[in-house]
Amino acid sequence: MAGAALRRLMAEYKQLTLNPPEGILAGPVDEENFFEWEALISGPESTCFDGGVFPAKLVFPPDYPLSPPKMKFSCDMFHPNVYPDGRVCISILHAPGDDPTGYESRSERWSPVQSVEKILLSVVSLLAEPNDESPACVDAAKMWRENKPEFERRAVRLVRYTLGLPPP
Amino acid sequence: MLRMWWARWSIWIVGCALATAVVIGNAFYQKKQFYPTVVYITKSKPSMVVMYGQALLFVVILGKLFRKLFFGQLRAAEFEHLVERSWYAVTETCLAFTVFRDDFSPKFLALFTLLLFLKSFHWLAEERVDYMERSPVITWVFHVRVLSLLSILLLMDVYFVNVAYQSTITKGASVQLVFGFEYAILTTIVLNTVAKYVFHVIDMQNDTPWENKAVFVLHTEVIIGLFKVILYVVFVMIMVRVYTLPLFALRPTYLALRAFKKAVNDVIMSRRAINNMNNLYPDVTQEELAATDNVCIICREEMTGGAKKLPCNHIFHVSCLRSWFQRQQTCPTCRLNVLRVPAQPTGGAAGIQGGNFNAFINQFPAFGGQGMFRGGQQQQQQQQQQQQQAAQPFGIWGGFPQQWIPQQQQQQAGAPQQQPMPPTRGGGAGEQNDLPQQPAAGGGDAQQRQQQGVDPTLGARGPQIPWNNAFAAMAPPPFAFRPTGESFGDFMTAGGPSTPFTFPPMPYIPLVPPPPPLLQTTGLSDDDLARMEGVTRENIEARLRCLRNVQILLDSAVVQMQQYSAIMSHLNLATSPPTQSSTSVPSPEGPGFSGTSSAFQSSSQTKSPAAPVVVSQAESSSSEKFKEASTTDATSSLPTTETSTSSSSSVPLSEQDELRKRRLQRFTTTTNQTQASGQIGGDE
Repeated sequence: MAGAALRRLMAEYKQLTLNPPEGILAGPVDEENFFEWEALISGPESTCFDGGVFPAKLVFPPDYPLSPPKMKFSCDMFHPNVYPDGRVCISILHAPGDDPTGYESRSERWSPVQSVEKILLSVVSLLAEPNDESPACVDAAKMWRENKPEFERRAVRLVRYTLGLPPP
Repeated sequence: MLRMWWARWSIWIVGCALATAVVIGNAFYQKKQFYPTVVYITKSKPSMVVMYGQALLFVVILGKLFRKLFFGQLRAAEFEHLVERSWYAVTETCLAFTVFRDDFSPKFLALFTLLLFLKSFHWLAEERVDYMERSPVITWVFHVRVLSLLSILLLMDVYFVNVAYQSTITKGASVQLVFGFEYAILTTIVLNTVAKYVFHVIDMQNDTPWENKAVFVLHTEVIIGLFKVILYVVFVMIMVRVYTLPLFALRPTYLALRAFKKAVNDVIMSRRAINNMNNLYPDVTQEELAATDNVCIICREEMTGGAKKLPCNHIFHVSCLRSWFQRQQTCPTCRLNVLRVPAQPTGGAAGIQGGNFNAFINQFPAFGGQGMFRGGQQQQQQQQQQQQQAAQPFGIWGGFPQQWIPQQQQQQAGAPQQQPMPPTRGGGAGEQNDLPQQPAAGGGDAQQRQQQGVDPTLGARGPQIPWNNAFAAMAPPPFAFRPTGESFGDFMTAGGPSTPFTFPPMPYIPLVPPPPPLLQTTGLSDDDLARMEGVTRENIEARLRCLRNVQILLDSAVVQMQQYSAIMSHLNLATSPPTQSSTSVPSPEGPGFSGTSSAFQSSSQTKSPAAPVVVSQAESSSSEKFKEASTTDATSSLPTTETSTSSSSSVPLSEQDELRKRRLQRFTTTTNQTQASGQIGGDE
């Protein structure tokens, strides 16, 4: 019998393949190693990220689901809650106990009930509604708060870039 | 990628080979004979550098060969860890050189290189065995590789430890001390890896997950960690005695200590979790499993047995729960803190509850006695009414939380072992039982309701009835007071149309709500409990109603606060001429109110304690004062009450007013804190 983490990841992979949620695609990079996934997230509709397809990498710890995975966008990203190097800062990816920003309540932290699907859906909604209270990328948060048209222009440029289109 | 790698390495290999060939050829060309050539090369430093480089290259190539043989292709993570740890090892080796610079020799260098290579193979073997658990397919090649590697490593470690021991015994302390110690540490690593490998193999042999595997792994880690810590401490002590403080050993010592502490902590947490699981939470029966979708949310697999139910009714695998509880003692789904759930549903906890009740009651005479109410005779009477009041809350609230608890278990520390308790049972309930028996039982009516609310639950007549009864018992208070409020309203309309009852009942209840009595489950089966919780529309509606009633109670408390502050503002003006009070007070006063501010105070004072009596026991309360007050309400004509009360309290008025003002101020601040609704923020 393989390890609990592996079995759970396999179950989640199966679930995601059978009933893929809209706008989300995720799976292991290769079937030999279930602890590294690649995900494609489409930007939420009627937001400035609409139409974009954003690739991301998920790295699972050996004790998943007791510990949360790490998520990192592998494309350029400009968003208040994404670090400049692509790491996603969202409360459900933080284990209770570590709170990098000091703004998160216990109830929205990681728990084994969460899943890859829930994480990705949360990230989609995070794209739609940035949380500028605890910004990971201060520049983006500042622009989002003070100069939203510019932020949206930048997001649209990003979307076109991810689609391989020339900037408008 | 691979080609680039080969290109780089072939440059190295060819370059080194050429340099070596040149050096040897040159030496041989000069000396013509073998022995002089060797002497020449060893004496010439540039030649030796080239030879060292060549030797290093051989070692690297040999290492790569062995790696290919035992591990195949390294995974990215493995390679990363290897590089990271190698850097530390090299740094520490350089530090060790500083201590043993006198012993520096090619042999010494060769031994350190060998040590480094063996170390890296230990790390890789460790990673590989850990990876077993995560790999979907384990081939027999893997087993052969791991087994042969582990046995070779173990043999070499033991051999080198032995060599170092003999050397130290015969020749005294030397650099061999460090080697012996390093290899001893490596031996512990190999043993730990072997143990893990055995556990993984046993786990893989079974089709069902091996539940106790984690426990075995934890205990092995503790034992190995203990060995390591002892080894490091002994080594550091010996080094300090023989040479100097071994800086290079400090970081590993610290790491070993930390790992050991963590392992011990894990074992303790694990034991506690196992203990909790075995003692506190009931096993889930097959029927219950069949009733739910029986998928464990932690591992996403079906539960066929070995499942436990938490106090919040969430069901998980025993093994999943255990590993989660090692990290956190909360329910994964609802985050109920399982350690806060009282372990023993009866006995001590109930006694504490009773104590709280006592403290709660004692507050009431205190309020009355400290000049809250004026006039000797009046005060006595008020106190009596206070006691009724004190009794009454239990009638109303007492019936309520008992039914409320099963629902509350979702959020706070209710346990399924608890069950509604009849007023005649248990420590906490005994307290309740005494209260309604007081002679002027103001809560008699409510007590009846309470009985109705409780008994059906015990009689196992089904959950719906007690729920509804409970709401019947708790819903009335706010509405029952409305008539009082309305009759009062034309007399003094503060608060506006949205707040019809100006003097809601039980002024102190929202401040100190009686703690919900503990329940006992001895009389109820699991099914009864499940039914009591209820998932039908009726039950959910009842819960919503209950919550709405709670909200109404809270709102009434807010209105009350506004009332009190209105009085307070009057009190502030009480010393000023009466004509000002009616005009300058911000809160609008009713048209019927034409008296002085002091009259207003006295009448309102009469009103507030009398109000609860109107609700539950209008007939039985036969106090003249009360009747007087109520007639005053009805007719809105003040003079009689005004004269009687104000005359009786004319002299001590200012002092008691002061006291009361202070109390009200404190009251307002505490309520502000607790309610945090901001509705009464502007009242001060």
